[in-house]
Amino acid sequence: MRISIKSLAAAGACLAAAACGQSVDEDSTETLTIYSARHYDSDRAVYQAFEDQTGIQIETIEAGGDLLIERMKADGERSGADVVITVDAGRLWRAEQDGLFQPYDSEIIEERVPESLRHPEGKWFGFAKRARVIAYSQERVSPDEITGYETLADPKWDNRVCVRSSGNIYNISLLAALIERWGDNVAQDWAQGVVRNFARVPSGGDIEQIRAIAAGECDLALVNHYYYARIANSEDAADQEVADAVALNFPEDNGGVHVNISGAGVAANADNVDAAHQFLEFLLSDEAQRMFAELTNEYPVVASAPYENDVLDGFGEFEADPVNVNTLGENQAEAQRMFDRVGWP
Amino acid sequence: MSAAVSSRLGRSARRVTAAGPRPVALAAAIIIILPIAALVVLAGSGDFAYLRHLADTRLLAYVRNSVTLGVLVTAGTCLTAVPAAWLTARYRFPGRAFFSWALALPLAAPAYVTAYAYASLTTAGGPVYEASNGLVPAVRGMGGAAFIFTLALYPYVYLLARQAFVSQAAHAFDAARTLGAGPMESFWRIGLPLARPAIAAGVALAVMETLADYGAVEFLGAPTLTAGIIRAWTSFGEAETAARLSLILLLATCFAFAFERGVRQGRGFAQSSGRDRPNERVPLSLRGAGIAILFCSLLLGLALIVPAGRLIWLAFDTPGVRSPVPALLNTIQLASMSAVIAVLIGLGSAYAIRTGGWLSVTAARAAQTGYAIPGAVAAVGVLALLGFLQRVLDGGLGSAAPVVTGGSLIALLFAYQSRFAAAAIGPAEAALTNVSASLDAAAQTLGAGPGRIIRRIHLPLISGGLGAAGLIVFVEVMKELPATMILRPFDFETLAIMAHNYAADERLAQAALPSLMLIGLGLPAMIAVSWLATHNRKRRTAR
Repeated sequence: MRISIKSLAAAGACLAAAACGQSVDEDSTETLTIYSARHYDSDRAVYQAFEDQTGIQIETIEAGGDLLIERMKADGERSGADVVITVDAGRLWRAEQDGLFQPYDSEIIEERVPESLRHPEGKWFGFAKRARVIAYSQERVSPDEITGYETLADPKWDNRVCVRSSGNIYNISLLAALIERWGDNVAQDWAQGVVRNFARVPSGGDIEQIRAIAAGECDLALVNHYYYARIANSEDAADQEVADAVALNFPEDNGGVHVNISGAGVAANADNVDAAHQFLEFLLSDEAQRMFAELTNEYPVVASAPYENDVLDGFGEFEADPVNVNTLGENQAEAQRMFDRVGWP
Repeated sequence: MSAAVSSRLGRSARRVTAAGPRPVALAAAIIIILPIAALVVLAGSGDFAYLRHLADTRLLAYVRNSVTLGVLVTAGTCLTAVPAAWLTARYRFPGRAFFSWALALPLAAPAYVTAYAYASLTTAGGPVYEASNGLVPAVRGMGGAAFIFTLALYPYVYLLARQAFVSQAAHAFDAARTLGAGPMESFWRIGLPLARPAIAAGVALAVMETLADYGAVEFLGAPTLTAGIIRAWTSFGEAETAARLSLILLLATCFAFAFERGVRQGRGFAQSSGRDRPNERVPLSLRGAGIAILFCSLLLGLALIVPAGRLIWLAFDTPGVRSPVPALLNTIQLASMSAVIAVLIGLGSAYAIRTGGWLSVTAARAAQTGYAIPGAVAAVGVLALLGFLQRVLDGGLGSAAPVVTGGSLIALLFAYQSRFAAAAIGPAEAALTNVSASLDAAAQTLGAGPGRIIRRIHLPLISGGLGAAGLIVFVEVMKELPATMILRPFDFETLAIMAHNYAADERLAQAALPSLMLIGLGLPAMIAVSWLATHNRKRRTAR
């Protein structure tokens, strides 16, 4: 094979030219730029509905919440972001600490979102809820044996608990909420107790913990409710068997069910503030709220929003932890340190 | 100088090509190390509270896991790839031609995809778990991680080692036979020592990628130092601490490979070609062929057919996935552009190292270290650098300044080079090591200038190695996640991002199709490399 240096250099020059030539076409339609840590296909349906309704074009970047925050910091005043969306209150808190949001006083938001699910100064709010709950084996566990999150740390369940790793943000936010509820010492004892009860090294995601219960590897697990709902709503026969073998307990006793949010806010350096406001309010419309409930099995934040989802209905009403989700961010670092101290991998 | 094995490169010979691509290499290397420099600046800020906490709690476990995994993956890749390379390069047996290129294919499967596939097979509820009643251990923890990384990364060692074995001259083996050495002895005393730089380069790539991986170790529950690095950032928002820990990881990796290089020093071999003739493949006995086929099939089966088969099964079972075609086209565009650029940089750096001089060697080595940094942190380094550049531009040009922090292919291509140039420099250097300095000297005596020496002598001899280097970069860029995610233009998706997004949402079945396309994209690339290698051989036969 003859590769001449000249031809290689020529090829390189062509490629470089192609890369430079690839500039974004400026067109006349109004655009809204969203930085989102959500990457569900169903979000495209929400964006589409907004575009149809307003004629505003949406462009997105989807990446992990931490990467989005770093990108916005690097962008600085030249940031292209109008709206920022994350799937965890802790990340919203941190973005707010870094000054990446601007406040938006909206009657619609104040009216439709419960106070515990929005930032005290209107920097961001939750538009969909996820509950972190206890999955248990229908066969080997009786529901009245579960009396809140404390149960997971009870020595009675030695070698019977499955949980994913502590690097996972859902676990961190739960412990952050428990720190607020019980104080540092009790919360750390709880984490220590759960670690002692591990049936196996934490690995895999929430769905894998649910399958492990069905297969008999463990009896209790900590999972987000929508993973179970997804299995239960599946048409696959094997999934149905898993859903039949496992049930969810919403630990209301002693403080309520831990709830986290998918949240959004207006970027500090947004170019198109009006469109951002429109979009945020659209997220709270009955139409969008229904999509979250029906497509991703999340709970709508708007109590009155109608939807059809038999599995969610089957879970019934529950008492949520009244703590403001902003606290999850404040306690996040301490929660991670606690996990490190008790050796929760 | 004996027929095939010559002494280490002489000083005078080193200077021959000095005027060549050295300035190019220097410039490229400096551009590449800028993001690392940005990380160093970042690491200098912030406080040490988290580091102290980590030292009190889990640092030891993280480091222990990293070292263990590095050692296991070194052993695993060598024990699988070196025999496979030796067999397909030196022997004739049915299926050899197929295995020789197919064994490189698993490189197209990202480690995290292989991990997802094996986990879904072997954990509770999976078909293997059900069929064996839970007797086959689930792929998880340190053992599982070593298993996955060996399968996902052995092709690095295989590709480079095979290239080295194929290009080894027959004289040395003839001489060994004359002196009564059997096949095993000629492997241990000639084949292996001659291929050592190539094997070391391959192992270096495999281990660096293992240590910098986050997705698979987090999923499998084998927390290495990188898990700690990412946590410093995601749980504490301390990009500074993450940068600091990354630099520690980077230094440790550098020391490890500097040590290897030190041990190798003084045992450098170059082959004189001259009236060389190519190595004939030795036919294997029936039993030998059986063992060879079994070994190669088992390796290929475990690394590619089992996980890909699981993905195909899942993909068929899954309704309604978005069309992956736009993502496919984007992936091809990014990966091929990066491969061409990386080969140019790799070639330049390899020459810089060959011609010596502390500045060029240091620059080229520094450019290689980018590979040892976790992808997410490297992406932060690029972002920090671009942010700085943006402020400089804004200061000079005001609002007329172009936006450079993201959303352009240039930024993305730059990030890829800073991270993956190592994948091209190592192999290019290894290929060049096999070109004897006496060839340069001979050509020079005949009046050939450096450019002519490179064109007429070096390039034909090393094009196979360069092809492998380009391929590796192509595949790496194809699989890359964090930098692509954060620096890509709006609404721009790649196959890796698609697969990752589905998998991160625990929708493995939907991740199956883009993952399969990633593997499919690697196929023609691998065949091209195989073609390059055989073509090279034929040309040498003709000469």
